[in-house]
Amino acid sequence: MKTVIRNTTVADKLLFLFMITASLAGIFISRAAMPQGGEVVVEINGKKAYAFALDEDRIFAVPGPCGDTVIEIKNKKARVKEAHCPNRLCEKQGWISKGVIVCLPNRIVVSVGGRSANSSKEVDAITG
Amino acid sequence: MKTRIQALLYVLFLILFFSCGKAKPSIYKKTKPLMDTVVSITVVAGSAEEADKAIEKAFSVIRQFGDRINFFSDKSELSAINKNAGITPVRVSAETMGVIERAIFISEKSGGAFDPTIGPEIRMWDFYKKIRPEDAAIKKNLPLVNFRDIIIDHDKSTVFLKRKGMMLDLGGIAKGYAADLALAGLRQDKIAAGIVAAAGDIRAFGLKPDGTLWNIGIKNPRQKSEADELIAKARLTNKAISTSGDYERYFIENGRRFHHILDPKTGYPAGQCRSVTVISDSGVFADGFSTAVFVSGPEKGMELVREAGVDAVIIDKDGGIHTTPGIKGMVTFEDSH
Repeated sequence: MKTVIRNTTVADKLLFLFMITASLAGIFISRAAMPQGGEVVVEINGKKAYAFALDEDRIFAVPGPCGDTVIEIKNKKARVKEAHCPNRLCEKQGWISKGVIVCLPNRIVVSVGGRSANSSKEVDAITG
Repeated sequence: MKTRIQALLYVLFLILFFSCGKAKPSIYKKTKPLMDTVVSITVVAGSAEEADKAIEKAFSVIRQFGDRINFFSDKSELSAINKNAGITPVRVSAETMGVIERAIFISEKSGGAFDPTIGPEIRMWDFYKKIRPEDAAIKKNLPLVNFRDIIIDHDKSTVFLKRKGMMLDLGGIAKGYAADLALAGLRQDKIAAGIVAAAGDIRAFGLKPDGTLWNIGIKNPRQKSEADELIAKARLTNKAISTSGDYERYFIENGRRFHHILDPKTGYPAGQCRSVTVISDSGVFADGFSTAVFVSGPEKGMELVREAGVDAVIIDKDGGIHTTPGIKGMVTFEDSH
């Protein structure tokens, strides 16, 4: 071992260092580019307020003008469990595993999905 | 030796610095509740800050326009026009004038299948509470629906509704126009590519960072399983795409579907289509013509799109699909259809 170290030149060491850095960078770059496991993001009035992993079950409340909106994450799906807005459309939408639930009166947007992977299969917007 | 190591380190530093330093253009997207709906803006930008600044500015353009033409707000220019129907002309902003002029244009082109004076009829319906007006009430208000009774004075920038009780409702066209306004704002901010989606009224421009077209899903009007099930996908750029459907706001009573797109000639929901998607160069025409074609039905609707020089995908009341030749290569239908 000692002779191995003694026989390496400075250039060898630098090359070694460079390779470690490159492989570490590779991990971070691929992480950023690949879709993350599902995520539930709650936006209030257009501002990101909460972000939770989709695979951890939980129930939480988000305050709004019409009272608290209760959001539930379970079995990699999310739903608005309880809402106090007039039409409660968000509640009626039920469980989603991707896409968005919107409560206009409370100005809450719950979006479920991985970070966009920019794949050509995914759509960039939906009309209808 | 020492200087050689220093030189090597310097080169290594430069390589690492330049490989990570310069950010490639990426896609940034934000969603906000505006104009009583959900507006999403996507941009291609060099940094999150640049994207955020441009998106927020575009949101404020939409908010300002939305406030001016809000049917339900007492403070809007639209309410001022409606309150002064049969009384006096009302001075309006360039944006409000712009959208009303285009509404009248589409009304004329479609022979009244689209009519922004539908206000007195639409306000009697409540699709959430399943409130359907009495037949007599619908009949009574019908003479108030006529776009020819909108009087525009360009010199004075005024709008006047000839008869008392008339009401403008720009719901069938305003979101497309808002997308046009927001897109103009993004371009002013030197954003080269992106999407403005005011609910289903979408305008796309430029290309994605990987050089490909934008991918826009068209919803299946009769969803089988999960929400947002698609019937087709459109790959496009520098185009607007809008859909009018009978499945957005509706209720079913005795097996009959009552939805929010009313036929201005009868005051009842138009029944010949499930959904109509129009692809055009401008958001306002895509939005307005999708409503006009929906009301006209597949046959007359096809004539209308040909005349207007726009493309369309019409899904009729039985689920039959009608398309214009122009969508070839742009729209692909999902396997099950």
